[in-house]
Amino acid sequence: MPPRTCALCSTSRAMLKRPKTGQQICKECFFTVFETEVHNTITRAKLFKPGDRVAIGASGGKDSTVLAYVMKTLNERYDYGLELFLLSIDEGITGYRDDSLETVKRNQQQYSMPLKILSYDELYGWTMDGIVAQVGRKNNCTFCGVFRRQALDRGASMLSVDHIVTGHNADDIAETVLMNIMRGDIARLGRCTAICTQGEDTIKRSKPFKYAYEKEIVMYAYFKKLDYFSTECIYSPDAYRGHARVFLKDLEAARPSAIIDIIHSGEAFEVREEVKATQKAQQTCKRCGYISSNDLCKACVLLEGLERGMATAGITDRGRKKLDAEGPAPDNLRTIPFYTAGAAPAVSVGPD
Amino acid sequence: MADCGNPNVEQDALMQRRKKYDRTRQCVKCHDQLGNVVIRHAVYCKGCFFPTVVGKFRRVLEPSISKDKSKKGLKATGNLCLAFSGGLGSSVLLDLIGSNYFAAEGDAGHDWSRGRGGGTEHPRNEPVWEHATVCYVEVCNAIPGARDRTEEIRQIVSRLASYAKFLPLRLEDAFDHAWWERVGRSKPHGQLFVDLGHQDLLLSIRNTSSSPVAALKAYLASLPTQTAVPTAIHNLIRLLLLHTAQLTNSSHLLLGTSLTSLSISLISSIAQGGGFVVREEAQENWQPDSTSSQKVAVSRPLRDVGMKECAIWAWWRGLEVVGKENYLGGKQGIGALTKGFIIGLERDYPSTVSTIARTCAKLAPKEASDGLCTLCERPVQPGVQDWKERISIRQFDEKAAIARSQPGLIQRLCYACHTTLTSPSSRGGVGQSAIDAVQLPVWVESRVLGSDEMKDVVAEFLLDDED
Repeated sequence: MPPRTCALCSTSRAMLKRPKTGQQICKECFFTVFETEVHNTITRAKLFKPGDRVAIGASGGKDSTVLAYVMKTLNERYDYGLELFLLSIDEGITGYRDDSLETVKRNQQQYSMPLKILSYDELYGWTMDGIVAQVGRKNNCTFCGVFRRQALDRGASMLSVDHIVTGHNADDIAETVLMNIMRGDIARLGRCTAICTQGEDTIKRSKPFKYAYEKEIVMYAYFKKLDYFSTECIYSPDAYRGHARVFLKDLEAARPSAIIDIIHSGEAFEVREEVKATQKAQQTCKRCGYISSNDLCKACVLLEGLERGMATAGITDRGRKKLDAEGPAPDNLRTIPFYTAGAAPAVSVGPD
Repeated sequence: MADCGNPNVEQDALMQRRKKYDRTRQCVKCHDQLGNVVIRHAVYCKGCFFPTVVGKFRRVLEPSISKDKSKKGLKATGNLCLAFSGGLGSSVLLDLIGSNYFAAEGDAGHDWSRGRGGGTEHPRNEPVWEHATVCYVEVCNAIPGARDRTEEIRQIVSRLASYAKFLPLRLEDAFDHAWWERVGRSKPHGQLFVDLGHQDLLLSIRNTSSSPVAALKAYLASLPTQTAVPTAIHNLIRLLLLHTAQLTNSSHLLLGTSLTSLSISLISSIAQGGGFVVREEAQENWQPDSTSSQKVAVSRPLRDVGMKECAIWAWWRGLEVVGKENYLGGKQGIGALTKGFIIGLERDYPSTVSTIARTCAKLAPKEASDGLCTLCERPVQPGVQDWKERISIRQFDEKAAIARSQPGLIQRLCYACHTTLTSPSSRGGVGQSAIDAVQLPVWVESRVLGSDEMKDVVAEFLLDDED
């Protein structure tokens, strides 16, 4: 049987079957369509303007490594005029994050981008190892997710950047759409498919890989021989998200377009106006100044629970009531430094 | 049970049985009787179970009949069309409609929504709907190994819904010009075919003599995935029912979709790109065409009643449930996967089913529609094809420009129908180039050829009879 020719250029030999479309294409056409689709996503949403300082949230994993590579490539090819930085958060997970940060440090050299690493220990006085030692493995992802989001904003503020880009891919977004429907999280459902989110005083945050399949990101990294860290986090993943992930993989196996179809669904609907009116308005946390829907932001509540030995305070209503019943927070409680967006001076960055 | 003899070990080894209910075993309604059934952690006695279900049923249905809560009782603007599949939900629906709205004179022990007293001639005692029709769509020619159950269903309907007229349909009617004329539509000028192997879904008109059954089978066989087949069947049934509702001058088409089935179909629809019509999955108002004054309200009065409650209702009421051909596209179809997932999740997270339905009820389309899909007759979101081309490039620009010069169905489909007709399986599905053109359902022919603009465009590309 003669070798199949590429379905796109009709000249070269097809090397791979594209997960997103099922087409058999050559390596060069794969790079072209993958990068062009990311470029289309960026330009259509008008994510950047010339001169923007953009931090790439870098964990050393496949998504953020490919993102750093593609952002650098597109910035040069299409002359975006961006100043790119790598921003890493060290959650303090021995045997996982310390190793992956070594990869980020190598990426810094390979892509000639300045790197800033900010640790949970430095910001919150706790590492994830310490948190897991206190709360166990059941709810540790809640702490990690909440702390990481705020840490990225604070790191970006330290770098004086205008924008953070993260490596969230199409699979992540489709999974989040399903999860938010199944657990009735209307507020998150309304914003989880937005390519760019920005609160009143938070830094712009966007997802250029919003339509890129996880399998294609892995394929891109493989064919480009990119240097990335491929170990999963050693602490157990969120069980509920795990269910949604398995379901999504089954759907993808049944029909590969299911991932993009779910994202399209998520983009096509919005929360009804009368429901929106009942949602809480955003304000700033009275303790740390970060954006919050309540008097205290989630990170401050979680941290107070840890500090006072009642870790469930930020997880369940019952835990919160128990904490309130114990009386107000003591004056000597360790808290998160006060946050003022964009006010922090630019810091020098380099290899740590 | 094997016993090692050490009581301490056994005590640790046995898991404590989880309580199925929240607080007490007393009924949460009357606080008097011992409960007979647990519905999402709440206990109900048999006496309170029935009014609870009836309350949920009427709370959904009656606002769709009339928003005016006057004492004069409910009065619909047309007749009633009830969809019956033979399954649990539709059996319960026929029973509930019968006992609440069509109870025979002298029937004791039920609450007439149209009022009580004042004599039989009192306007309050006018029936809500003058006539009721029970409509069944036979799908045996679409599902391998299925048997024709029309007569069996006819028997059941005569027992379960003596108040209604039985109207059987067949799935192949969707490809039958005679049926199309029976529902009061004019016969199209030819049979419209679509080339599913071409990415623009090129159209042509042919005068072939294939039977409706052959056309149905060819249509389903040409679909690219296992998922697409049940979706297409579901869509054909839906349109057959809607046109029948219009034929019978019905203002309401009622479906027996339970809360559980609704949640499954919502997630399944979202997974197939149907987010824009998520509202229509629960409730819709269908209009045969923009000039028609007649509207059919499609309602699912059991949408707050779970599958378990339906099963208990049927058991306690002694309803005969014959079952239905439940074809979900095999184990690997999105419908079957979603059903397995939701029912599995419901065991660990018991509120999942109601949460899904409640969440989706809070959603609305982000933008206005720019027309109806010719295949499913639901609103189309603007710019769908541009979106698809931008986020997954399937051909380079020069090729795309050439393809656009021929008439295709592509611009007249909603996202979900386009996905159903074109999205391949991970194994590649049917060889795209091997597909011959297939006949489209009669309403598509009517919509496409009914538009002068489209008719002119297609006319340029008409094939001879034998082509």
